[in-house]
Amino acid sequence: MRLEAPCRIRHVDLAEGIPDLPAEPGAKSLLVIFWWGRVPLGSDHLSTAELPLPRSAVLHRAARLVTAAVGDRLFDYGFKACLPVHRRRMPEDRPPDLAALNGAVRPLATIARGPDVDREDTAAPRPSVSLIICTRDRPDALKRCLMSVAQADGLDQVVVVDNNPGNRATRRVVDGFPGVAYLAEPRPGLSVARNAGLAATRGEIVLFTDDDVVIEPDWPLAMVRAFIAPEIMAVAGLVLPAELESAAQIAFEQELGGFGQGFRAMEFDAEFFSAMKSRGVPVWRLGSGANMGFRRTVFDRVGLFDERLGAGASGCSEDSELWYRLLAIGARCRYEPSAVVHHYHRADWATLTHQVRAYTKGHVVALFVQYWRWRHAGNLRRVFTSLPYYYLWLVKEGCRRGFGLRQRLLPSELVGWCAGLWAALALWRRGAHVGEFVAVGQTGSETDA
Amino acid sequence: MTYVMHDLEVTAPLPTLAIPPTARGYALVLRRRGRVVGFMMEPATGGTVIEPAALAPIITAEVGAKLLQESIAEELDPSSSQPAAMPSLTIAICTKDRPARLQRCLSWLLRQVEPGREQGQTIEVLVVDNAPSDDQTRKLVEGLAGVRYVLERRPGLDFARNRALAEARGEWIAFLDDDVVVDRGWLAGLREAWAENPDAGAFTGLVLPYELATPSQIIFEQRGGFRRGFDKVRYGACFPANSLYPCASGIFGAGCNMAFRRDLMIALGGFDEALDTGAPLPGGGDLDAFFRVVRAGHVLVYEPQLLVYHEHRRELTALRRQYWSWGLGCMAFLAKCYRVDPPVRPIIFRFMAWWIKYQVKEGLRSLRRGGPPLSMVLAEIWGGIAGVAGEYSRSERRIERIRRAFP
Repeated sequence: MRLEAPCRIRHVDLAEGIPDLPAEPGAKSLLVIFWWGRVPLGSDHLSTAELPLPRSAVLHRAARLVTAAVGDRLFDYGFKACLPVHRRRMPEDRPPDLAALNGAVRPLATIARGPDVDREDTAAPRPSVSLIICTRDRPDALKRCLMSVAQADGLDQVVVVDNNPGNRATRRVVDGFPGVAYLAEPRPGLSVARNAGLAATRGEIVLFTDDDVVIEPDWPLAMVRAFIAPEIMAVAGLVLPAELESAAQIAFEQELGGFGQGFRAMEFDAEFFSAMKSRGVPVWRLGSGANMGFRRTVFDRVGLFDERLGAGASGCSEDSELWYRLLAIGARCRYEPSAVVHHYHRADWATLTHQVRAYTKGHVVALFVQYWRWRHAGNLRRVFTSLPYYYLWLVKEGCRRGFGLRQRLLPSELVGWCAGLWAALALWRRGAHVGEFVAVGQTGSETDA
Repeated sequence: MTYVMHDLEVTAPLPTLAIPPTARGYALVLRRRGRVVGFMMEPATGGTVIEPAALAPIITAEVGAKLLQESIAEELDPSSSQPAAMPSLTIAICTKDRPARLQRCLSWLLRQVEPGREQGQTIEVLVVDNAPSDDQTRKLVEGLAGVRYVLERRPGLDFARNRALAEARGEWIAFLDDDVVVDRGWLAGLREAWAENPDAGAFTGLVLPYELATPSQIIFEQRGGFRRGFDKVRYGACFPANSLYPCASGIFGAGCNMAFRRDLMIALGGFDEALDTGAPLPGGGDLDAFFRVVRAGHVLVYEPQLLVYHEHRRELTALRRQYWSWGLGCMAFLAKCYRVDPPVRPIIFRFMAWWIKYQVKEGLRSLRRGGPPLSMVLAEIWGGIAGVAGEYSRSERRIERIRRAFP
């Protein structure tokens, strides 16, 4: 069911017993996230008119909604998430094994002490982990974020990159947290800031998050666990909404898909890449820059974040473009839902439309950048065919079912799409469309320093 | 021209399914530790044999997720397997001139009623004989211990149901049709639903086919039959998953397997005697009862463990008549809602639009291979037209005459 603002979010840990869901006065809908201990397993959308719900009803809804995620963690096949491929060009999952299903007694307790957790104690020493948080003029949000970082385990180094600092507010916030390093990066742009953070850190695994999130205490450990196979080069985690009070936040989470990619893990590889190459590989479906991590060796192999992309430059997609490079050279990327951060979506509509414009523009520029680098025509197909077709489809749906929140965002997207074309044209005329991989130690910020 | 039916326990070693030479397929009622978790119908060539190794993936493709879901629900609530206490219950069977079917229904039911009574629950079995043409039913019931016989002379199923409401002594009253057979877990399912939802005003349950012996029965089941899924559903004041709620009253369940809190049903005025009147308007009374329970602010729970097997119409003409009565009953019910419950009128209009679209789609599907017979679709459309065209008012006048004839 569709959520409506204001919407409350409730986290239910099934391991601690199932509560009755009381009425929620003042709210129109309720988003329930089901957890088993520290593992998120599923979500339920409720209208507050359905409340109160007794325990038994919550139990049966929970059991139904967490089944896929539990099955994904328990079994090798039968419950795998579908990769975002067009018309099933990848081999389909087999039906689950009956004997294994019959043997699944206390499945939730089994996933809680899963094989990954066991291996952590016995395997090779834990890699060193650095966390990079890029921020710009949001000291209050940053403080909230750093408070959650202070509670987290498994971080060896935390660096806040203050991008284009206007005043000392950010510095003062960071100084309040011992163990968090402050780094000023005067050149604007999220890619620039991320690259500066990379140069200043030394962890074998580099995690990124944004200033407008709150991380779960075990997020760093869960991210590191997701790198369990040596061929996995990048990991993105689950981004849950931290609040859904306003229509703008609901629209972002629901109409634009939010940042979350579900409660089942996905592994993206060369096979996925080739299945989607002709249509523009949907790398943005890996996750989001608010919750991602890389092996440091990645940046030696495919270069740093592209400084033409990202907030402050084209608008966004610096994260997904790096994933594109990784998949294009045959590396593996993983979406790992047990690594959770909570994101505060933009609360007011004007900021949201601005964000949508920037996202669309950044997306279009990234598609051009990917085309210039790899000559994969699918990227152009997406710019000139798939996206316009999608916008037309939205209009058609609007005529059929009524113009809703999704359609209200369409003008911003169209403006963003045009702006993206214009920005790509500008890059091309400047000759900036040819770009080799930039390696560590070659960025502008470091030569300036 | 039959489908062989098997009742399979998936936690036990699977059998080798031998499809008889005359059969066109097989149907499986799937259980996990005795609890029903799924139903499937698969066409198969007569004379083939399906080995357990080949059968397992077919089963898990259908119910794999459900099996894991049951296992999770068990882990979350280990107490659910214990039998719960239940208030006193009346099981009412309304029948008319079908002693053989009634006997089959009663014999299966009484096997559960006895142990239920031994566990301390007060259970009354009531047979309402509706305008009988002979005394066969009375003789049959008088020969059975622990079954009460009531005669209702006014013809009409809802007259009989209201008579049952008035005569019953239980706090809850369950209605069964005479052409069903209860599953061995039926009574336990009712107790489970009540234990989990003590606030509920009504329960409905799952209806599976008793046999798939004729083309008519196979067609009916392939078009969805009476099945409403294998997940428990709690219907309250709103149900966002269905935009036509609560006017799409068919989603709740079917009248051949339903139970109500008796004081609630009496307070709501009982069943509408102008619906389900037998031959002229054979339907809609159950839909109307569910609708009014929910509209009065009470909770209706669909419980798949409350399972009965229904003997579908064996003849194609009877099936056509059934679809006709569905269209008629549904539209007569909506016509009544339109009159007595103005706030839901916009939903009624949307339901009509959906219904027309659905029938057109089914009509187009019937022109292709593997689709339903066109005559069935047309029968339902024809019934619907008659239902919209004042059938409810005509029926009201008819039952007024019946009331006068039987003071």
